[in-house]
Formats: sequence, C-alpha cells, structure tokens
Amino acid sequence: MIELHHVHYRYTQTGGWILSDINLEIHPGEYVLLCGASGSGKSTLCRTFNGLIPHFHGGVLEGHVLVAGRDTRTLAVNDLFAQVGMVFQNPEAQLFQRTVERELAFGLENLGLPRASIHARIAASAATVGITDLLPRSPQQLSGGERQLVAIASILALQPQVLVLDEPFAHLDAPNVRRVQAALRTIHRQGMAIILTEHRLQHALPDADRLVVMQQGRIVLDGRPRAVLQADPRRFGMHIPPVVQVAHTLALPEMPLTVEELLGMVDSEESSRQKAAVDVVSGGLGRTIGGLQKIEPMRWTQPGHLHHPPTTTAPPTVLTLEKVSFLRDRLAILRNVSLEVHAGECLAIVGANGAGKTTLIKHLNGLYRPTQGRVWTMGQATHRARVSDLARQVGLAFQNANDQFFTFQVWDEIAVGAHALRCYDEAWLQHLIALLHLEPLCQRSPYRLSEGEKKRVAVASALASRPTILVLDEPTAGQDWNARQALGDLLHSLRSQGQTIILVTHDLDFAEAHAQRWVVLAAGEIVTTGTPWEVMANARVMCQAGLEPTQLFQIHSAMSRGQMVQAEREE
Amino acid sequence: MVLFELDPRTKLILTLLSAALIIMSTRWYGSAITLGLLGLIIVYIRAGRDFGRWLRLVLPMTAFWFALVWWSADYTTAITAGLRLLALTSVFFVFFHTTTPEDLGNALVQSGLPYTWAFVISAALQVVPIFSRKAQHIIDAQRSRGIPLEPGFAALRHYPALLTPLLIQSFQLADDLAEALEARGFGRAGRTFWRDYRLRRRDWLVLATASAVCVGLVVFPWL
Repeated sequence: MIELHHVHYRYTQTGGWILSDINLEIHPGEYVLLCGASGSGKSTLCRTFNGLIPHFHGGVLEGHVLVAGRDTRTLAVNDLFAQVGMVFQNPEAQLFQRTVERELAFGLENLGLPRASIHARIAASAATVGITDLLPRSPQQLSGGERQLVAIASILALQPQVLVLDEPFAHLDAPNVRRVQAALRTIHRQGMAIILTEHRLQHALPDADRLVVMQQGRIVLDGRPRAVLQADPRRFGMHIPPVVQVAHTLALPEMPLTVEELLGMVDSEESSRQKAAVDVVSGGLGRTIGGLQKIEPMRWTQPGHLHHPPTTTAPPTVLTLEKVSFLRDRLAILRNVSLEVHAGECLAIVGANGAGKTTLIKHLNGLYRPTQGRVWTMGQATHRARVSDLARQVGLAFQNANDQFFTFQVWDEIAVGAHALRCYDEAWLQHLIALLHLEPLCQRSPYRLSEGEKKRVAVASALASRPTILVLDEPTAGQDWNARQALGDLLHSLRSQGQTIILVTHDLDFAEAHAQRWVVLAAGEIVTTGTPWEVMANARVMCQAGLEPTQLFQIHSAMSRGQMVQAEREE
Repeated sequence: MVLFELDPRTKLILTLLSAALIIMSTRWYGSAITLGLLGLIIVYIRAGRDFGRWLRLVLPMTAFWFALVWWSADYTTAITAGLRLLALTSVFFVFFHTTTPEDLGNALVQSGLPYTWAFVISAALQVVPIFSRKAQHIIDAQRSRGIPLEPGFAALRHYPALLTPLLIQSFQLADDLAEALEARGFGRAGRTFWRDYRLRRRDWLVLATASAVCVGLVVFPWL
C-alpha cells in the first residue's frame, strides 16, 4: 500500500536529516503503532505518506515514497488525500466549519462527489465512529474527545485505504480514550489500514498488530508487538507499559500486552514466581516507574509519612476552600467544594476533562472569585485580595507554556514575573535555574525549545516569586517519557525542600507516582479524597469520575486479591 | 417558517433593501414601524433571549448616538436617529440569526463568487471565538505571574505580554489550519456542494413584492 525506500528528509536545504534511511512497507489492513520520543521523526514520517512532504512543507526529500505503486513526487496532495487520510494532533486547527455535518461534508465536496453519495457517506462515517447525535452541533461546543472523533469521522468519510493519526490520545481522558479506541477498532475491522503515532504505548498496544520504534530519524525496531517488546525498546528511550516491565523483570517467555494477559501468564506459573511478581510490583517497580528512585516503596502503604515523620503537631494549613461554588452562564462549574491544603504536601486534583479542575485552581490566586463560599490563601481571603498580591503566594503554571512566552531569552522569561511582583532576587533565580537544569538554555529564545524544556521554563517562572504553593496544570500533557521523568525528578527535589505542590491532571500514572493525596473531582464536586491507592480501590467513585486505575494498581490489587493476600500483609 | 427556507441570497437582498429604506426614511414612525415588524419576527423565530443579550451591547451605543444628535440638533431628530440606528442593527441581527455564513458563502459561490473567498469569510468568523479563548488563556497565565493584564491603564504598558503570544500562536494556528485544509483536498478542481442553492419561485415572488414596496415607498413618500 505504502512503500518507503531509503527515504531521507530535512526541512531546510542545510539542516540535519530529520529522517534518515527509512525503509518501510505498510500492507493493506495493517494496524501499525509508530512510536518514539519527541523529535524522533514520527510526525515527519507521517507527513510523507500523503505527500504533505514534500509538496506542502518543501525541504529535501531523497529516496522514494510510493502510494499504491506511484511515487508521491509525481502526485499532488489533492490526488493523495482520499487514499491516505490524515488526522492531525491539534483538533482546534482541523475543525473549521459551523456544524459537524458540514465538517464531514467538506472533504467529500472537495472530492467532487454527487450530492446523494455525500449524504450517504456522512451517515455511514458518523455511524461507524458513533457521532450521529453530534451532526447538527457546532464543533466549537464539543469536548476534546468528541472533537477528536469528529476529526476522525471527517477523514473516514473519504474512505481512504490508510488512516494516519498523529497522537490521537495525547489530550484525552480515560472515557474518551476508550471511545476513540473503539472507533479505531471498528474501522480496522472494516479492513482499513491504520497508522498511529504515540509516545505512550499502552493505549494502542492491545489493538496494534505491528510496532515500529523510531529514534533520531531512524527506524530501530519493527515487528509484531510482542517480539518488539521482547527486544526491550527501553534502550531507545522508549517507555514501556508497567505490565511489560513486570514481564521483563520476571523474564516471562512471552510479553503480555494487557493486565489480564499478564495475570493469566503469572497464574499459570508456580507460586514462588507469583510472589516474586508481587514483590516486583509493590517494591522495585514502585520505585522506578514514576521516576521516584529515592523514595521508599513503603510510601504506597503509608504515604504522607515520608518527608514528615509522624509528629504531634500537624503542618500548618496554607490554603482553605470553604464551600466554594462557581457559576458561569448560570451553569454550576464548581459545587460546594471544601478543601484544606497543608504546608509541604503534594496534592493531586484528578478528574476527567471538564470536571472543573482548571476552574478550581484559578480560584487559588483570585483569577476567579467564588460565586458562593470563600477561598483563603495563606490566611488571605481571595475575594478581597488582588491577583498580583496572591500571585506571590501561589505560583501557577498552566498547561500550555506558549501562553506566557513573550521575551526573547529564557532568563528574562523567568525573571519578568518576579520583577512585576517586585520580589526579584537574583540569587534565588540562579538557584532555581540550577535546580531545573536550565543553565545551558538561559540565553536561548523560549520559543525554540523542545516541549519538555518549555515546561521546565514555565515551572521556573511560576517559582520565580518564591511562592508557598506551586500549582501545575496538566504538567505531563504533550510531554514524552524523558520529559516526564525530568519533571518527576524536579517535583521530588522540590518536595524534599518542603515546597507545597498541587498537581492538576488526568494522568493517573504521574499523579500516583508523585502525589501523597488525591482529590477526585467529578462534575464540579469533590467525590472523594484519599491516598492514591485508597481512591483507586473505590471502583464506584473511579467510574463516576471517569477515571481508570493505573496498570500498576490493577496488577497489584489483582495479585493481592488472590492467594497473595497473606504475603502482602506480612510485607 | 418561510424566512428560514428562503435562499440566503434572497435574505441578503431583503436585508439590504430594508436597510436602504430605513436610512432613507426621515420620520420617526418609519423606523418605529420597522422595529415593530422586526419584533414580531424575532418573537416568531424565538430569538428573544439572543436578541436581549445582543440589545445589551447595542443600547449603550444607541443612547450615545441619541445624546450626540440631541446635543447637536433637536429632540425629535435625536429620536428619529436613535430609532433608525436600532432598526438598522436589528435588521442585520435577524439576517445573521437566520443565515449561517457558510450558507451565504456557498450560495454566493453558486452565483459566481470564487470558493476561496467564501471560505475565507466563513473561516474568519469561525476563528473569532478560538482567538478570544486563546487571549483569555494568555491573560490568565500572565496575571498569574504578576503581569497586570486586567482591563485598565496598567495593561497598556504590558500589552506585549498579551500580543506576542497571541500573534505567535495565531501564526502557528494558521500553519496548522493550512496543512489540515490541504490534507482534506481544499482547492481541488471540480468541487461539488452537498446542498443546492436555487432561487425558487417563492424567492422571486418575495423579491418582486419587496421591490414593489420599495418603489412604492420611494414614489409615494408619505412615510
């Protein structure tokens, strides 16, 4: 279907090769998972499949890309778009029509189809993806997951032979991941080939029948998923899901792709192996998975006692929310939220997209004022204080670091907030820059950094005023494995200095590894709080909040539920 | 309702004709009668709430205009001028409430307007809410680190903190949009339209009646 022979590519005449010597053949009906760290060239590779490279992006392309036997050089994107359909990463820039129905019609109209078949294809494509009820709505009013489905349906309607998706799960929460997974499974069953890029394997791994690993513009591994996992892609900077890590530690003969498969494999072994597996999960893996190497495994059972050995006096309260409700357009975004945060703790506010997490943290520094109730930040009532006064106490770093960059050097970017707040302290900023390993970047433009580096600069600028509370909104969104690790290490060192941290995320793997306490938000209400494992053990609440327990927790709880209960208690 | 089913081009012509009549009318009751008719239409298409929200934007402007004319001329002229402005803007409210930019654009394409133009118009309107959302995010992010971007004079001094990220993100968005359009066959020759826009008999009837009324009002200007 698609063949690449010795393909090299670079965006400019002189720069380094982004792709080097790629040889790849995609067969009809395949489900290919293309993975690699940020900057490994996977998005660039996708753009060669439908001719966007070289026709749209220019640059230097060597070698041959053949689609259905014809060289893409000799074709235009307009000839290829209906054969190789492409869903891009940013849903905002893909949906530009007034209704979903028009969105689906757009490509078909360009294709020059007669009216009757346009209508038939819209109906069929919407039904396959499961968005028939959304057809009359405006894409602007849909949730992130629904927009992703609309983007998929609008390409599916073209009936391409290959569907290419660039990180479709990047910004989705658990229920939406399942919807997109199910839609892709249906499409694949209908015989369409799927090529999907991801830097987190676990969402697409169970469905894929081929796994391709890229590193620095080259394909380094290619084959059946189990075989590739056996070859251990960790050495290419890839993250492998916890189930596979467990399997590697146990040296299992075959690699499991899901928690169920792993449990099946372990059950059939003798009991000493099972015990080993439990040890691996609750011990060694607990330390390495989240990047928290220095923290004792016992933290799972007794979080909160790590940096604060049990004392008679509780740490002081730095933040209090008292029955906070917030209305927008007569709609309740937050309902009766009460919460206390203590000095030195690391708290995670978790919940599905649209649960009100971001709205909640905008109350902490007075950006929003509660419609009802009160917020006290360091004893100051936010409804009477100015944002600039509260900003000295609460350092907030939002999801998209590009929202704040406006200077030409990283150093200025970090210092500008401190200047504005009149608390500029050169020694502190130097310390901060050393702590976040930003020394080599100080003179560079913030816009030219990688996503991981941008995130570290944003965190540094939130810390510039030495706030008591650091709030991070979806810190792991769009970050690859190495960047996540770096962020995890940073949180660890901040915590060891007594920094109070509030994480806001739907990334439970990260929240599990770094937060002592979870606050679960669902439809604007706090439905439960507790240690990560207490919360995840409550299946009803997890389901209500649209959250899925982490693989680590699933393995652990399934194993301890069996004959390991006793052993677990002794531990 | 007929108003919905008319071709977008018919609605455009009707709107322009009414606007011309309102501008030409010199007595206060001319605009008042138009406003009354528009009120009936707005109630009929159940757009009352939207109209109310929109009036909140227009009324201060009208009041200012009224005061200005009263100050420079006299009371009756001011009333006529105020009513005229209100009627004029209401006509366009009804038009945009019953016609989407895409419908208008696509209909005009079938009358010969190049498709790219029509697309640019409707895409520009779509992008407005995206930008206001982006601007709000940027303002929140900057205020969170102490840069005062709340409305006021202080914000003027700090405008690069809002405009630079907004500008850079808009370039990025334009790039992404162009790529996504390309990948969905934008600009390919031989485009069809999923909806047919045709001036039917009732469009011609409505247009003929409206022209007759216009000519009548111009020839016999009792109003």
